[in-house]
Amino acid sequence: MVNFWRLTLGGEQETLHANKYQIVTNNPMVADVFGERCRVVFLEQGSDRDVIETVRDLVHQHYRVLTAPLAGSVKPWETPYRSVMVSTSKGSAIDETSLELVEFALMVIRQSKERLETTKPSIDSDFQTIDLSLIESALPSVEAIGRI
Amino acid sequence: MKLEVGYIDIKGIRFGDYNAVEDGILIVNPEPLLEPVLEDPLIKSAHFEIATPGESIRITPVKDVIEPRVKVEGGGGVFPGMVSKVDTVGSGKTHVLRGMAVVTAGPIVGFQEGIIDMTGLGAEYTPFSKLHNLVLVMEPVENFKQHEYEAAARLAGLRTAAAIGELAKELVPDETVVYETPSVAESFKEEWKDLPRVGYVMMLQSQGLLHDTYVYGVDAKRTLSTMISATEVMDGAIVSGNCVSACDKNTTYHHQNNPVIHDLLAVHGKLINFVGTIITNENVYLDDKIRSSDWTAKMANYLSLDAAIITQEGFGNPDTDLIMNCTKLEKQGIKTVIITDEYAGQDGKSQSLADADELANAVVTGGNANEVVVLPSLDRVIGTLDYVDIVAGGHDGSLRPDGSIEAELQIIIGSTNEMGFNRMSAR
Repeated sequence: MVNFWRLTLGGEQETLHANKYQIVTNNPMVADVFGERCRVVFLEQGSDRDVIETVRDLVHQHYRVLTAPLAGSVKPWETPYRSVMVSTSKGSAIDETSLELVEFALMVIRQSKERLETTKPSIDSDFQTIDLSLIESALPSVEAIGRI
Repeated sequence: MKLEVGYIDIKGIRFGDYNAVEDGILIVNPEPLLEPVLEDPLIKSAHFEIATPGESIRITPVKDVIEPRVKVEGGGGVFPGMVSKVDTVGSGKTHVLRGMAVVTAGPIVGFQEGIIDMTGLGAEYTPFSKLHNLVLVMEPVENFKQHEYEAAARLAGLRTAAAIGELAKELVPDETVVYETPSVAESFKEEWKDLPRVGYVMMLQSQGLLHDTYVYGVDAKRTLSTMISATEVMDGAIVSGNCVSACDKNTTYHHQNNPVIHDLLAVHGKLINFVGTIITNENVYLDDKIRSSDWTAKMANYLSLDAAIITQEGFGNPDTDLIMNCTKLEKQGIKTVIITDEYAGQDGKSQSLADADELANAVVTGGNANEVVVLPSLDRVIGTLDYVDIVAGGHDGSLRPDGSIEAELQIIIGSTNEMGFNRMSAR
C-alpha cells in the first residue's frame, strides 16, 4: 500500500493513508468489488437498517461518514441494499454532522413501509448494481489527496 | 447571449422512403437513421415506431425523451460535447421541431424505467402524451454492462434527434421567439434597478454511473457549481444520462424546454431581473455536497441576488443537497423558492422530503409520487411490459391479467417533474 504524506503548518510530516475509507454494506457486489481495496464490513444477511446502525456505532467511535447514508433516488423500501463509506481515521470527538446524518437516515428507514421482496434475480442484480454505482461515484472524490 | 428560436410545428409522423419535413409532417425512412445506431456493438437491434396523441398505445420502458433541434446560425451544434463539437452554443439561430419527440425505449435497469401512455388516465399525467413520438426501440446484446449500454442508448437517442433536427435547417418557422440573457454588467442597468435580482439554481442529478447528467459532455459530478446561459440550455448543452425513477427524472426534453428558464425570461425586465442560472450537482460524497452548495451560495452572492428558484432532480440523498442549497442562500439573505416533489406515502401522510429545514419555507410541489393510479389496458405496447411489475412505483402484481396496471405515479415519465413541467401541484 502506498502512503502519501504532506507537511503540516508546523512542519511535521503527516501521513495520509492511501486507504482512507472503509465501507459498511449488505451488498455482495460491493463486498466483492471493494474487498481487496479497502476494509469492508459486510453484513451478509443484514438489512439497510443494520447497515446504518453499524455506521452509527462507528460514528460513536469517532469515525466520520463520507457518503450520504440515504439511498439515492431509490426508495428505502424498494432497494434492500445500502453501502456507506466511513473514514479509517478517527477524530478526537464524535463528528456531529455524521451523527446527524445517520440518525436522520434511521428515522427515514423507520418511517418507511416494509421492504418489498425482490423475487426476480435479474432485478436483485440491478439493485446491487445501482447501489454499487452510487458508492463507486464517490471514488474520484475520496481518492483525491487531502484531508478527509 | 441572444438566441432566435424558430419553432416548426409538427402535426404528424409517417414512414416513407426518404427523410424530410413536409407541410408539418415528419417523413421517416428508418434505414439511414438506424445505420449509425446499429454500428454500436452493444446495441443488438433497433427499430422505430410511431405513437400519436390519443392512440391506444403504451410506451415502456422509456429511457429518454429528446426534442429534435438544429443550429441554423451561430457557434456550435446541438448537444455540444455529446453529438457536436464542444464549442459554445446559445447564440444565433436554432430551429426546433415542436410538437414531437424522439423517445428512446428498451430495458437498461429493470426497475428504474417508466411509461408513456398516449391515451387514458396515464396520458393526463405525462406531458409526452401530447407529442407525436418517434420511438427508437433498442435491445442490448447479451451480458451487457448497464452503464456502458446506457451510454450507447443515450448517444443513439441524441444522434437520432440531431439527425432529424437537421431536416428542419432550411425550413421557414411557424413562430420565432428571441431569447436574450444579460451579462452581469447589463443586469445592473438603471432601467432594472428597482426589480428584484432573481437567479435560478438548477440541481443536476449526478449520483453515479446510472444517475448522471452531462454538461457540454462533462459528467456533472466532476464539476464545481458554475454558471450557464439559459440559451445554452435551449441548445442542448445539458443532457440526461440517468435511469432514476421515471416521475421525477429530468429528461433531455425537460432541459431543452426548462419551464423555469422560460417563465423567468418571460417576466425578465418586467416583474423581475433574471440575472442568471447556476448549475450545481448532487453527489454522493458528503464533502462534494458541502463544497458544491457552498459554491452555489458564493456565486449567488457574487451575482448580488435578492432571490432564487431552486429545482431538484430525484429524491433521497439529493434532498440533502436541496436543503443545503436552500439554507446557505437563505442565510445570506437570499430568498428561495424550492420546486420539488413528494414521497409522502400512498396516503400522503408521511414526511414528503428526506431532509427539511425551517428556512425552506417556500416550496412548490410537483405532486406525490406515491399516489396510486390504475391505468387501463391499452391496445398496443411499444417496447415490453416485462418490467411493469418491478419498475419503481410498480410491484409484483402491478400488471393485472386484463392488461391494466395498478401502480404509483412514479411509474409515469415526468408525472411529478421537479422543474414544474407538469400540471400537478398543491395549494
